[in-house]
Amino acid sequence: MNERKAAGVTDRRLALRNYIKLYLILIRTSIRSRMQYRFNFALGTLLAAIIQLSEFLMVAIVLAKFGAVRGWTMHEVGYLFAVMTLAKTLYRTFANEVHNLERYLVEGELDQLLTKPLPVLLSLMPRGFRLMPGELLQGGAILAWAFGEMLQTGQVTWWAVPQTLFAIVTGGVVLFAIGMATATCGFWTTRISMLQNMTEDAAQTAARYPLTLYPGWMSGLLLTAIPVGLVGYLPALYILRGELGLWVFPVLAAASCLAVLLALRFWKFGISKYQSTGS
Amino acid sequence: MISFRSNTRLYRALAAKAYARNIQYRGSHLLHNFASAAFGYLYACIWMGLGRDHSLGDYGTIGMMHYITFTQTSLWVASFTTMGLGIPQSVRTGQIALDLMRPVHLFAHLMAKEWGQIAYQFLYKSIPIYIVMQLALGLTPIDGGRTLPLALTALAGAAYMTICMNYMMGISALWTTESSWLYWGNQALMNLLAGFFIPLEWLPGWLQTVAWASPYPFMLYAPTQFYLGKGDPVLLLGTLAWCAALTLLCMLSTKALRHKVEVQGG
Repeated sequence: MNERKAAGVTDRRLALRNYIKLYLILIRTSIRSRMQYRFNFALGTLLAAIIQLSEFLMVAIVLAKFGAVRGWTMHEVGYLFAVMTLAKTLYRTFANEVHNLERYLVEGELDQLLTKPLPVLLSLMPRGFRLMPGELLQGGAILAWAFGEMLQTGQVTWWAVPQTLFAIVTGGVVLFAIGMATATCGFWTTRISMLQNMTEDAAQTAARYPLTLYPGWMSGLLLTAIPVGLVGYLPALYILRGELGLWVFPVLAAASCLAVLLALRFWKFGISKYQSTGS
Repeated sequence: MISFRSNTRLYRALAAKAYARNIQYRGSHLLHNFASAAFGYLYACIWMGLGRDHSLGDYGTIGMMHYITFTQTSLWVASFTTMGLGIPQSVRTGQIALDLMRPVHLFAHLMAKEWGQIAYQFLYKSIPIYIVMQLALGLTPIDGGRTLPLALTALAGAAYMTICMNYMMGISALWTTESSWLYWGNQALMNLLAGFFIPLEWLPGWLQTVAWASPYPFMLYAPTQFYLGKGDPVLLLGTLAWCAALTLLCMLSTKALRHKVEVQGG
């Protein structure tokens, strides 16, 4: 009995290792196909950086004009902006096609993926693997600028750096979970862009500012039902302002794992109800 | 020589078809408006939050809520139009060669279609979003709506400018094969330089100079100032001047396009 159990575990490990190997091969293929159009890649990178810069300038101008937002300084809000940008970059680098699921549903491409001997998510995710150096550079530069000032004034220590990296990773996972749960609704509704506008675009824009700006019901919503507040705001309360406690990090880890597990279960349920749009 | 005037019936038909095509999806689009109104509400919340701690200048908190309501509403006329007027897809499929062979000028042909799209968006997106935001924020139209005619005139100019800009972005697909990044870059500049979220007078001096040297302030800021009853009618001359300049650029870029286009395959 024990031998059978052990063999089962070994089989699962082997399968997982093969999946990872295959995932890496598919990513490499995706990068190579993008590099066939180098000019597009360079132009896209440059314009992505400009878009990010203009978005941050909007926030920075408001802060330069008014000094602080509900007691949060320009560097603190810059930190919120940078953490959200980097977490979103992480999510969209690895799972851009989850965000683009509507195209697969409308054009019937999902049917092809269902015929492959792989979990749908695994064949979907590497397809849209994209390098996002523009967003990475922009987010990194704003984070470095915010940290530079806060380290100089003694507001934070170097410990804040690994803590922030941890927050970016858990934030990326939370955004992925929200994106996957939103995409899953497409198995019933086919069109999801409207929902994505609310759960992803609007929510992420909101979380670039301290949540105390918003009415109580809205900040509550952004910490629970659409938990974008866990990406930058909650860790910043501890890392930058010394509020809450060290327990924030295990909570972030647990919340991001829980969010992704719930989203995965919802995805599995949704895909079992999927009906092709036909030809 | 391709005439613009002799085809007015055709242009009207093209605009009507674009409008009719969109109207098939009005139910879904009306739902989509909630997402757009949610964005607007979010931006209004940011200004309400700021207004609790700071004075918001001549506008005040209520003024900024009106400001955001009007800019969010205007986006569907002055900004969210068809990416590159559909030219990038035509370039990819080779349809552009056929479009250039038609006995109508490419710019006028695509512009007519886009006016139909804009008319639809104005009726089924801008107006519902305006109503939802007014209700959500507890606002009533400024001066009983008497400022609207001038604001809508400026907005019509903005719609024409966005058609011209999208036409040129679309044409760039012949050189870049991909112009979606230009579209998104244009949207970002629109947010920053057109005064979508922040009134232009609050931008740093150098950025105000950059903004006023571009057509962007005439696309959102000027119509919004008219709506708020603060706009100087002289601003409309700026709108007119930019419309003329952009038209000229569109004509020149069509010439360049005709030289560049080549048909492959057989």
